[in-house]
Amino acid sequence: MIRFENVGLRYGLGQDVLRDVSFHLLPGSFHFLAGASGAGKTSLLRLLFLSIKPSRGMAYMFGKNITKSPPGQRAELRRRIGIVFQDFRLLDHMTTWENVALPLRVHGKRQSEYAEDVTELLKWVGLGDRMHAYPPVLSGGEKQRAAIARAVIGKPELLLADEPTGNVDPQMARRLLRLFIELNRLGTSVIIATHDYQLMTQFNAPRLMLENGRLHIHG
Amino acid sequence: MNTHTPQARLPAVAPPQKKPRPPRARAPIVPAGSVTGRSLGVVIGIMVFLACLTAGAVYIVNQSASAWLRDIASEVTVQIKPEGATEEVEKTANGVVSFLNGQNGIRNASLLTLDQSAELVEPWLGQISAIKDLPLPRLVAVQIDRDSPPDITTLRAALGTKYPAAMLDDHRAWQSQIRRVTGSLAMAGLAIIALVATATVAIVVSAARSAIASNRDIVEVLNFVGAEERFIARQFELHFLKLGVKAGIVGATAAGFVFLSMPLIAEYMSGAANAEYRRLVGTGRLDFMGYFALMAVVVVIAAICQLTSRYGVRRILDAQNQ
Repeated sequence: MIRFENVGLRYGLGQDVLRDVSFHLLPGSFHFLAGASGAGKTSLLRLLFLSIKPSRGMAYMFGKNITKSPPGQRAELRRRIGIVFQDFRLLDHMTTWENVALPLRVHGKRQSEYAEDVTELLKWVGLGDRMHAYPPVLSGGEKQRAAIARAVIGKPELLLADEPTGNVDPQMARRLLRLFIELNRLGTSVIIATHDYQLMTQFNAPRLMLENGRLHIHG
Repeated sequence: MNTHTPQARLPAVAPPQKKPRPPRARAPIVPAGSVTGRSLGVVIGIMVFLACLTAGAVYIVNQSASAWLRDIASEVTVQIKPEGATEEVEKTANGVVSFLNGQNGIRNASLLTLDQSAELVEPWLGQISAIKDLPLPRLVAVQIDRDSPPDITTLRAALGTKYPAAMLDDHRAWQSQIRRVTGSLAMAGLAIIALVATATVAIVVSAARSAIASNRDIVEVLNFVGAEERFIARQFELHFLKLGVKAGIVGATAAGFVFLSMPLIAEYMSGAANAEYRRLVGTGRLDFMGYFALMAVVVVIAAICQLTSRYGVRRILDAQNQ
């Protein structure tokens, strides 16, 4: 599903942020991406959700070379990826329901085709009674769940989550982790970037450890 | 325990409830207020107003010029040089009238009196009693049958052979001057409309850039959920199209009111010269085709808003995605 070969990344003329990163992730896998602040987690995630291109090396996602992908192909690949941002990135002028339905609306589906799916998913993540609420009035945990619901509504093959438990209490963190595990059981590959080691101890999954831009795989 | 409460009287099985309808996505993906502000609408409205005024003015001038040309084309003038005794000139003039009335393609030829000839030169010389003493040429006004006009060259030659003192003027010089003037006015009008269109393009491109900058978060989210550039551009262009149509209708309506009240404005501004003004541009009102031209301006400006924003947004997104 994802194959990186000696991938390097630097911004402009600055120092290397990632050095010779190589890994191969299979469909249906679950990985934690860990490392200290500034180790390159967010940069690696940005490469994975095609926000930037590698400076060196070869990178393949879903069999496509992403180092040379044109914008049209990137949009196509992104439809197979669900992303959960640390800062949620919900659109404040849309209700929770509209935010979650956004990917399907963007993909050109008719509302009658997805309306019930969106409602069901929101109930599943515990936001059944907050469907009409706007993001500014949601709590941190509710926003996080809405962001996760938006990431998975399109049944992505890969889910990337950047510090998904960074803004919630430990109890909510455990609940969200269970949600990711459940999604993984349903067939979605999951990569969770976190520096919360306690979270990683709650589920036995391989860890992609970043240290000074270099990647080591544990487990 | 009281069993006669209203709840106790409810039937054991509740009536089937209507299944609640799922919520609907109503909000536009990009909020209108963040794309096109009121000031942009005002600017585009003014642009449309100016373009409509120009288009309407050019249309009126062209219509008036066409009317002049029609009038001129249906009439020729014969001048008889005032050479020799007055009786001789009078005899020649009457002979010319008889000759012309006998030709095919001529509806009527009539001799202008000396008073009428004097009136024609009055605007240049003023009302002086000496006008009649001047050696003014005698004029014959000739109405041409528009359906079967005569061959002017042949007629001129025949007239010249029989009456050497008579000169036939078909106002060709006037016609070409009128055509040149109206052509120049039309070109100037088109140049003004082109300038307005260019300014509108520049404003919309700038507004599109601002709209993308102020909606960067939304554009990023749309990118991450797999929206194609054309989908994102469409979210912006729809707002610009609506703005173009709304501002266009307001601007064109304002220009329409100006043309409707043109006779009043002309009377107020030109005063005694109003008759001359009317002779030049008629009533100054637009006919149906004139108002159609104003609507065409609205369509063009709305299309400029839509297409410019589409290509502007796509270019900006392209640059961002490189």
